[in-house]
Amino acid sequence: MSSHVPSVSRPSSWPSSIVFVGIALVLAALPLAAGAGNYFLGLLISALILAGISLAWALLGNLGGMVSFGHAAFFGVGSYASALLSAKLGLPVLLSVPLAGVIAVGASLLMIPALRLSGPYFALAILAYSQIFRILATELSWLTGGAAGFQAIPQLPTVLGLDLASRSGSYVLLVVVVALCALVYALVRRSLVGTALRAIADSEDATRVVGVNSMLLKAWMLALSAFITGVFGALNAHIIGFLEPDYAFSGVWSVLPIIAAIFGGYRTTFGPIGGAVIIYLFDQVVAKSIIAVGHQILLGFLLAAMILLAPNGLLGLAERFLKGRRDAEA
Amino acid sequence: MLEIRHLRSGYGRVTVLWDVSLTFREGTLTTIVGPNGAGKTTLLKTLAGLIPYEGDIRLGGEPLRGKAWDLAERGIILVPEGRMVFRDMSVEENLSLGAYPRRCRAAFASNLERVYSLFPRLKERHGQLAGSLSGGEAQMLAIGRGLMSMPRILLIDEPSLGLAPVIVKEVFDIIRRLKEEAITIVLVEQNTHIAVGVADDVHLMRSGRVLLSEPAANVDLDRLHDLYLAREAQSA
Repeated sequence: MSSHVPSVSRPSSWPSSIVFVGIALVLAALPLAAGAGNYFLGLLISALILAGISLAWALLGNLGGMVSFGHAAFFGVGSYASALLSAKLGLPVLLSVPLAGVIAVGASLLMIPALRLSGPYFALAILAYSQIFRILATELSWLTGGAAGFQAIPQLPTVLGLDLASRSGSYVLLVVVVALCALVYALVRRSLVGTALRAIADSEDATRVVGVNSMLLKAWMLALSAFITGVFGALNAHIIGFLEPDYAFSGVWSVLPIIAAIFGGYRTTFGPIGGAVIIYLFDQVVAKSIIAVGHQILLGFLLAAMILLAPNGLLGLAERFLKGRRDAEA
Repeated sequence: MLEIRHLRSGYGRVTVLWDVSLTFREGTLTTIVGPNGAGKTTLLKTLAGLIPYEGDIRLGGEPLRGKAWDLAERGIILVPEGRMVFRDMSVEENLSLGAYPRRCRAAFASNLERVYSLFPRLKERHGQLAGSLSGGEAQMLAIGRGLMSMPRILLIDEPSLGLAPVIVKEVFDIIRRLKEEAITIVLVEQNTHIAVGVADDVHLMRSGRVLLSEPAANVDLDRLHDLYLAREAQSA
């Protein structure tokens, strides 16, 4: 390797990602070690659900080059699918949750024609598309309970002596699932397919020339993103035990992940996760105590400040800081 | 052997190629020359599967149909005009994408070695962003990426475009070496002098038709240039 040539740092090179994995694990274990109360664990559980969707959203945005305003659709479909499969068909919850992910993938397949669109056109198409499912969930009241909502959703079971329905159990489960999703994301990204996906964002025409079926790869990323989002929708449904269309398909599930991912750094693996936890806790703990109603407006200010100060997000900022330290040492 | 018969293609309702029939012999270099708008690039894009067509394309007697990625799997590789490298990615990542077709992945390391020995400059700059390369280096990268795809037929579009004469010579030295390795090459070029010099067969295209087909040895450059410019001469 010739040393004088300026070399490009590959995204998430191993050393810095090991640092981040370590930090993430310590942070994840901290609440349990400190014996956090149920209220705080509940906040963290919601934050981790948001983290999962943010990760899925960032995967589609970063690897697929598609901005989605419609992840609420996959979230809602996943919630209802798992709730109905377990409550009406009596499937075990641990089976209905991944199946809900598969059903969310099914919902995403209907979106494939929109993959021909790019940029804002795709974003608007998926926004409109996500409304279809809210309407379906409201109108198919014989199945979903309609606007009155759907109750009696089975709880998460006890596995290996750990009661997943308890706050600490749910928390551990979510940490594990988020970590698994982050691992899948990182593996896809480091593969040749991941390189090809980044190339599509660079020049889609040129990727065709080298033999990349760009439409197929983008469809795969949409499916993967929908699967992850559906799984988190399902987990959320079993944790809170109640669903209604306006909640499950709420625009919040489309908007908050975008804020979280951009805040944390949507081109990184850990950015969306960290961003989601910080954004959610800030919103619930700090913003709510300042402005009781309409506290989300503070998120807008926070995001605007972040975009101005660090367009690559929190993790980009951290990476720049670490790199600066390393360069100073060298 | 790559054969095309009665090929007609274009963009939407605009037909660019009208009834083109050509044969590219295995292991030879065929040069296609012609003025702007003759349909040379369209011909290469059609062969590479980027544009739909009517007519018949056969590779070794078998019909060749499919999208660009299917054809890349079968070894039909285009080195596009204007380089079209991935600007935001490093030189090595660009080359690794050349090995995207499944049949090329196993031999990635040895092919990379080979490309680096053909283009030492690329090895020096392996970690540099492709967008920061000079025109000549980017052209070398585009050709190198094509070689990573282990081409059976290499379609090279205007490699001399916008390059300094000394770099053009360097690029053509490489093309000559590839020809010696018995890769079937279809070269589209405006620089007739140098392009006819490396060719086995020469075709002149104008307005979407083939006007002249000759072995390179028989080509009289003056007559070629007269034909090349004929329409302008008539309208003058």
